[in-house]
Amino acid sequence: MPVLTFLEAIRSALHDAMAADQRIIVLGEDVAVKGGVFLATDGLLARFGEHRVIDMPIAEAAIVGVAIGAAIHGLLPVAEIQFADYIYPAIDQILNEAARLRYRSNGDWSCPIVVRAPFGAGIHGALYHSQSVEALFTSTPGIKVVVPSTPADAKGLLITAIHDPDPVVFFEHKQLYRSVRGDVPDGMYREPIGKAAVRRSGDDLSVFSYGLMVHYALTAAEQLAADGIDAEVIDLRTLAPLDRHTILASVAKTGRALIVHEDTLTGGVGGEIAALIAEHAFEYLDAPVRRLGAPDVFAAPFADPLEAHFMLNPQKIAAAMRDLAAY
Amino acid sequence: MESKDDPLHIRLGLSPEQLVAGLRTMITARETDDRLWLLSRQGRAHFVVTSAGHEASQLGCAWAIHIGHDYVIPYYRDMALVMALGQSPLDIMLHAMGRRDDPSSGGRQMFGHFSSRRLRIVSGSSSVGSHLVHAAGIALAFRATGERDIAVMGLFGEGATAEGAWHEGLTIAGIHQLPVVFVCENNQYAISVPQRHEVPVEDVATKATGYGMPGVVVDGNDVFAVYAAARQAMDRARAGEGPTLIECKTYRLRPHSNADDDRKYRSAEEIEAWRARDPILRFERYLIDHGLLGPEQLEAMRREVRAEVDAATDAAEAAPWPLPDSLTDHLYGSVSR
Repeated sequence: MPVLTFLEAIRSALHDAMAADQRIIVLGEDVAVKGGVFLATDGLLARFGEHRVIDMPIAEAAIVGVAIGAAIHGLLPVAEIQFADYIYPAIDQILNEAARLRYRSNGDWSCPIVVRAPFGAGIHGALYHSQSVEALFTSTPGIKVVVPSTPADAKGLLITAIHDPDPVVFFEHKQLYRSVRGDVPDGMYREPIGKAAVRRSGDDLSVFSYGLMVHYALTAAEQLAADGIDAEVIDLRTLAPLDRHTILASVAKTGRALIVHEDTLTGGVGGEIAALIAEHAFEYLDAPVRRLGAPDVFAAPFADPLEAHFMLNPQKIAAAMRDLAAY
Repeated sequence: MESKDDPLHIRLGLSPEQLVAGLRTMITARETDDRLWLLSRQGRAHFVVTSAGHEASQLGCAWAIHIGHDYVIPYYRDMALVMALGQSPLDIMLHAMGRRDDPSSGGRQMFGHFSSRRLRIVSGSSSVGSHLVHAAGIALAFRATGERDIAVMGLFGEGATAEGAWHEGLTIAGIHQLPVVFVCENNQYAISVPQRHEVPVEDVATKATGYGMPGVVVDGNDVFAVYAAARQAMDRARAGEGPTLIECKTYRLRPHSNADDDRKYRSAEEIEAWRARDPILRFERYLIDHGLLGPEQLEAMRREVRAEVDAATDAAEAAPWPLPDSLTDHLYGSVSR
């Protein structure tokens, strides 16, 4: 099995899916000739041609809206928003159009698009190349929100997303693109949307996270293991729909829950998970549900000390885990 | 052989049967619109957004569409258009009353959101102008599939031309010279805001230059002028010669919707002046003047249409509501692996 970076896994997913199915097209700013600003679509133009790999003008509503139109005619478009920070002009298209098309036509039309967007801080991207915007999308039905953390999931979930009958917003943490490597199966490898993954099994507390923070949480868990605290780390992978079963089963086992996300605390995905646990696993809890997120400021100020203070890291997560374990 | 002395409809290749059927569609749309206003005042329909006055613009466009083949992305004022494409008064009434068998949305959308996959009428939202990027996307898909001899028509009011999504839709269509015909039904008001406060130029059609496509102004109350322009634009699009922006100058003869009071922003004199230019009366006159329809036949047609709308109203009111449990149907499709 080849060992790929996260970025190569995305590229592999697009390549293999496009080779297997003519209906798949890729569109976005700089995706064709340049191969994407992160090179996620590098090589696709040469392989699949300009009718399937389409450079778009700087017009995010059009990037998503054109994808919707192409899906209406039966294609499976994969739209790229260059940075999640620029998804806002496309929000009307994603939430009012793509999400609602099947429902508002009583099942007559559908909208099987994928919107890929690199997100996340920690790369000196400042206020407009660092944002986590996933919580803007998890409260609207009709769409699915996927955030992989490993190369294998990046490929397997992207291929599943492309063939999903409904719109999927697919967030890729840009710091993971070149920093993680892993085994990635060849060909049309799929991972299910809506299913979390237990990355580390443990009995003392449960940590729920996604994206880059999963890796930080695993590092923190190893630090705690040296002190005899055995943490379970769950990679949510899909934020909508949430894998309620895996979340609640883990809490039932450990009795302690910490939700960790890079996004700011207020209104983040963590609140929904905390509510879910409070409603359905209250009797199992030995401690209050805890959330750890970025402080409620904008992701992320440019100056190094400000960015570092904004970001979570394994030490901050380990501290929160120790605190919870000691409750 | 056609000559320049032939009547207009012959020069345009329209048969007497098409003309009579077209007039019937216009009258049916107006009668349905009138009925919806009545029903809304009686509390029997929640919402009506009018198409009155736009019938010639819409019928002229409908004649240029290859029904079920070309895509049509209408906006909320296009009832006469979708009726010309095949939606019946009963379909419209079921939609207006939010009944289970509403073909446009199964009772999910308020009146004016027409849709039919069978007729390739694409479902839209209420977010003005947002559908024109879809028109460009459908047309871009034809390149990937290698389809030719097919076009998309997207329709909107002049108010939509201020929207960002409108600009983006025309930008994409212009860049790739896509087979899209953009039709502006310019009725001179965005609810209450007059054109001079919503469009920076006299003619919306002049905006076309900025998008690399021809812009055409037509009298939107003249069904033949609209058809000639729409036919030429759709033929051009299907032949791979690129998009067109058509501006139909028209006027809505009623308030924007039953929630609107147009006395605050339009004078009675202005409305009366446009009533005198009612596109239906104009088309009727043409048919009578050319001996294609007699006054008695016209009267009979009006009676039949009224009876048809009566029957559609009764049938829709008696039709079942969606079941409450269907609230969560069609949020997602079924995943096949």
